[in-house]
Amino acid sequence: CILNYTVFTKHVQDKFMSDCSMTGAFFLLVYRLHGRYHEMAPNVVPMDYTKDPDVKLPMQLIINMPELKENPFKERIVESFSEDGEGSLSFNDFVDMFSVLSEMAPRELKAIYAFKIYDFNTDNFICKADLEKTLNKLTREELTAEEITLVCEKVIEEADMDGDGKLGFADFENMISKAPDFLSTFHIRI
Amino acid sequence: SMSARERIKAIQKMPETMKKKREISCLLRLIFSLSLSLSSLALQSYRRFRNSLSEYFHLLQLWQKTLKAIGGKFGTGVLSYFIFLKWLLTFNIFSFLINFSFITIPQFVAAKPNNLSFTGLEIFTGAGYFQETVLYYGFYTNTTIRKTENSASYNMQLAYIFTVGIYFVICLLSLVFSMAKSFRRNFINPQTYSGQASKLLCTWDFNITNEKAVKLKQKNLSTQIKEALFEVNREVLNFSFKERFVHFVIHLAAWVASLGTAVAACAGVYFLSINNLQLFMKGHKNDLEGQAAMLVLPIVASLLNAFIPFFYSWLGLLEHFQNPRHQIYVTVTRNIILKISIIGILCYYWLNIVSASESQCWETLVGQDIYRLVLVDFIFCLLGCLFGEFVRRIIGTTVCVNLGMPEFDIARNVLDLIYAQTLTWIGIFFSPLLPGIQMITFSIVFYVKKVSLMMNCQPPRKVWRAAQMTTLFIFLLFFPSLVGVLSVIAVTVWRLKPSKECGPFRGLSSIYAAISVWIEILKNYPGSKWVVWIYQNLFQGALFFFILSTILLIVTYLYWKIIEGRKSMVKLLRKHIVNVSLTCNFGFFVDCLILL
Repeated sequence: CILNYTVFTKHVQDKFMSDCSMTGAFFLLVYRLHGRYHEMAPNVVPMDYTKDPDVKLPMQLIINMPELKENPFKERIVESFSEDGEGSLSFNDFVDMFSVLSEMAPRELKAIYAFKIYDFNTDNFICKADLEKTLNKLTREELTAEEITLVCEKVIEEADMDGDGKLGFADFENMISKAPDFLSTFHIRI
Repeated sequence: SMSARERIKAIQKMPETMKKKREISCLLRLIFSLSLSLSSLALQSYRRFRNSLSEYFHLLQLWQKTLKAIGGKFGTGVLSYFIFLKWLLTFNIFSFLINFSFITIPQFVAAKPNNLSFTGLEIFTGAGYFQETVLYYGFYTNTTIRKTENSASYNMQLAYIFTVGIYFVICLLSLVFSMAKSFRRNFINPQTYSGQASKLLCTWDFNITNEKAVKLKQKNLSTQIKEALFEVNREVLNFSFKERFVHFVIHLAAWVASLGTAVAACAGVYFLSINNLQLFMKGHKNDLEGQAAMLVLPIVASLLNAFIPFFYSWLGLLEHFQNPRHQIYVTVTRNIILKISIIGILCYYWLNIVSASESQCWETLVGQDIYRLVLVDFIFCLLGCLFGEFVRRIIGTTVCVNLGMPEFDIARNVLDLIYAQTLTWIGIFFSPLLPGIQMITFSIVFYVKKVSLMMNCQPPRKVWRAAQMTTLFIFLLFFPSLVGVLSVIAVTVWRLKPSKECGPFRGLSSIYAAISVWIEILKNYPGSKWVVWIYQNLFQGALFFFILSTILLIVTYLYWKIIEGRKSMVKLLRKHIVNVSLTCNFGFFVDCLILL
């Protein structure tokens, strides 16, 4: 297939700037991703990207990918990376998504997107309602309402640094820095 | 003394810093557009290389698919074992390639004919026909090989030392760099894990793609949360002095028991090997019974390695650790002590007893011993898979249903790999093609473990802190394993007398003497004076090492201070980044253009 990329989003460029030794692996990734993107909708996605086509795939197609199908956060992941906020991904967004979730992305970038994913109401804070939704998705609604409230209160108590009752990005990043496994678990292999 | 929030508010109020923020974001945008054009150029050249990469690409896909399947069903913890195995395999492939190219291929030119007959038993015992092949040290010639009378010469002695030496230097550097990289990634914040609840947002394993595994993980997480809530609500027990004393005595007794078992195992191995040597020296070498008797030592060593860890796990359960993580660390430590002491006693036996014995070619004897150990260890690994996983699953699903399917024991399997790799590293000097054999065994183990895992095991129930355990395992590979091997090789090269009648160093007083002889020869060539100078002043002078140590200590101290300074800088910058990224928008971009 013919791949001619002249348009990258700023987040992809962050990686390009920060660690130039990764670019070989990154190009391989883009090549593989183009194949996957194309095979999801072969009639809509062109093989030739030289004319910079304006093609977006709807969320329903993307969350049926085997890598995402069983993930409890699949809708939120796709929404966080889509430009229009509704879940349809252009190829740019698709590459963004899988490159942030690959082993090449630096910790800071992953933290930014993990924050976006867990922020269900997109108000740039993880409030108690967001935490409750996250917990429900993590435990498949097996905990009682009382237990969920207790756990959410404990999370906010431990992680909230500035005392506003919700987690800002700085609080979230601080929490992530204490979890060394984050880099290896926030990772999807494609 | 201001809180973070007040500080951010104060920064936001200052107008001068607004201008600075605009400049910073402007610079960032400029760099973005520069790298845009760079990247399109780079991609054009990539397209040209794409065709040559496509076959390599397919090979990557092969391993990639297997690892993805394993990670998808079992998570990052079990996946780390397979990635570790793949990494050790690359060490062996590299060693085999350089040994084969630089030592074995030249030897084929000057090969002696092999008069022994081949019976099938050699594959297990390594003796017999294999004794007079390139597999062992004893076969290699000490002459300078020449293809025809006037062609270039190839000094086998130097080739042997330098190939093995350079390989170990590369191994050392690669391990040090991996350790540093892993440590930096996983221990950037040395604060201990404060807060159990906040880790909820960091533990979901995005790698898992199998439906059943996801459901199981969700169930386990809810069980863990319920247990944690129960513990929090329960009162914190204050142990009385008597209870603490009892706990201390139990821990002490357990350590004494485990160390005692390790010492007993070593004593058993030592006496068995002395016995072995005596039997061998008496001359029952070539009959079937004698050859089978040679397999007793490796079988006993592998049995000890297979069953004593169960005893250690049972001890760990008896001890009632407060923190289950301590139980894992203590059990891993005990297993490592056992394995390293068995290897240690065997090395002592080889270096002190076998080398001083009157056998014709002690290095080949040592090589054969290691070959047998490696092979029997491989067979026991396969048997362990069969009984530990397959039969256990059958029992767990039909006879005793409450046992359930077995879990993959990551720590135990990784320690077995480290043991096998240590044996291979020791054996490289005495049997240069041993890494090739280990290459084959590791590949077979990879596939067998993968198939057994998929068929017989269930995903792990407890959280396995893969990142920190991987750092620990790389450290274990480096410190007892590689450093120990380097000491053994150092003793062999500097202190031991090579056998008189076989091998590339026959007749010399020590293996190192070959290098001294070479330096003496080099003194006569005016062009190589610098090599002689380096040898005399650097390797033989004590002053050089003293100065080097002092410089290293000073550099280490400076780096430590720089790291401390950078840590506080990182904290400040993080707050700044948050500030900049949340307020940066298109308006600033326009302002930048106007500013320019």
